[in-house]
Amino acid sequence: MSQLLNKLQEFKTFQENAPIRIQTLGQFRLWRNTEKVDTKEWVRDKTVQLLQYLISNRQRHALHKEKIMDHLWEDGDDRDFKVALHGVNKVLEPERPSRTEPTYVVRQGVSYQLDLEKIWIDVEALEKYVIIGNEALGTDNLIAKTAYKYAIELYQGIYLPNRVYEDWSSEEREKIQMLILGAYTTLSEILLDENPIESIRLAQSALSIDPTWEDAYRLQMQGYLVKGNRPQAIKTYQKCVTILEEEYGIDPLPETKKLIREIEEIN
Amino acid sequence: MAKKADQTASFMVRFNQKIFEESGESKVQWRGKISHVQGGDEQNFIDFNDALSFMQKKLAELTKEATKDKTSDQQEGILKKSLYMWKTIAQTGPKVIMDTLKDPKKQLTQIQDQIQGQISHLGDEIGEKVQIDQWRNASRSDFKKVKKSISELADEIKKLNAKIDSISKKK
Repeated sequence: MSQLLNKLQEFKTFQENAPIRIQTLGQFRLWRNTEKVDTKEWVRDKTVQLLQYLISNRQRHALHKEKIMDHLWEDGDDRDFKVALHGVNKVLEPERPSRTEPTYVVRQGVSYQLDLEKIWIDVEALEKYVIIGNEALGTDNLIAKTAYKYAIELYQGIYLPNRVYEDWSSEEREKIQMLILGAYTTLSEILLDENPIESIRLAQSALSIDPTWEDAYRLQMQGYLVKGNRPQAIKTYQKCVTILEEEYGIDPLPETKKLIREIEEIN
Repeated sequence: MAKKADQTASFMVRFNQKIFEESGESKVQWRGKISHVQGGDEQNFIDFNDALSFMQKKLAELTKEATKDKTSDQQEGILKKSLYMWKTIAQTGPKVIMDTLKDPKKQLTQIQDQIQGQISHLGDEIGEKVQIDQWRNASRSDFKKVKKSISELADEIKKLNAKIDSISKKK
C-alpha cells in the first residue's frame, strides 16, 4: 500500500514542479516554469488547437502528421502544419537554440507526441489520481480519499470548453466526465457517515454534471438521513422521480424505492 | 463546395447499465445519452430507436442545409438517398422526417390520429375528433400530458362502466 502512497506523492510533486503545466478543465491555460503564458504568445488559434489536439490524443502513440492535418485543417498543407508546430514549440521553449530537437513535442519521422514525463496536464493527472483511488478503495480508504480529493480539486469544469463543437475533443471530454462522476460518487459514499454534509455536497456536484445520475440521488438521501433531515431526503427522492420521468419516462430503481420506503417508515 | 465541418456530424453515445432484481427476477436496463457534437444538442433514451431517430434528424438537417439552394424536388430526392442508409429502421423515422419536411402539419395530424385512436376505445359517444391544429406550437411533453390524461379518463370510464354493469345486474 505504501507503493500507492508513494505514487500519489510522486504525482503531486510533479504537479508542483513540472516545467510545463497545462490546465484544460474549465479553461485552457499554460504555465512555463511557474509563469503563466500570455494568450498573445500563441499568435494563432491553430497553434493552440494543435497543442490541444496533441493533448486530446496524448495516449495514442505517435500521431501521424496527415491524420493531425486532416482533423485540424480544411485544406491544410505542410506549411500550415509546420507553422503551427513551430508556434507550439516556440511557446513551450522560447529559448531553444535553432537546429536542436524540441524537448516536449517528440517527433518520430512524420509522427508526433507529447512527452508526458516532462509536461504536466490536469486531465492526465486526474485520471492517474482516480486510478490510485480505485486501486486503494476497500483496502486503504485513507489513500483512496486523498486520491479522489486530488482528482476533484483538478476538476474546474468541462474539458476544453471552447472546443465543445470539435469532434476530436469529445472523446476526452466524455472520458473525464465519467471519471469525475465516479470520483464524486465514490468519495461521497466513503464520507457518508464520517462527513454527511460533504457527502451530500459531492453528490450534488455529480448531479450538476448529470442530473439523471441516480446513484447520486441515493447518496444524497442517505446523507440527509444521517443528518436526521428526513424531509430533505424525501424531497431528494421526489426530485429523482421527476427527473427520471422527464428524461427517460422511467421509475427509479428498486434500490432507490427501497431506500425511500425505509426513510418513510422512520418516525 | 461546403466546408468539411459542415459535412460532418459526430455523435457521442453513452450507455449506463443498471442491473436489478424486481419481483424475484433479474433485470437489466440501459440508460443512454446521445450528444450531437457539432450542434451541442443531447438526448437521453431508454429505447435505442430514439437515439437512431435523433441521429437521423441531425443528418437530415445536415442534408437539408447542404441542399438549400436546390429545388424542393431535388432536395427531396437527395434526402431520400441520404436516408437510404437507415433502411434497417426505414419504416418509421425517415418517413416522419420526410413527412415533416413536406408538410409540417402532417406530423401533428399523425399525433392527432394516435390520440383519436385512444379516444375511440372510450366509445362512440365521445368519439368526436379532437381539434388540436391550433396547438402547433405545443411541446412533446404537452402531447404526453394530453395522452396521459386521456388514458386516465379511459380508466375512469372503465370503472364507471363496471359500476353501471354491477348496478344493472343487481336490478
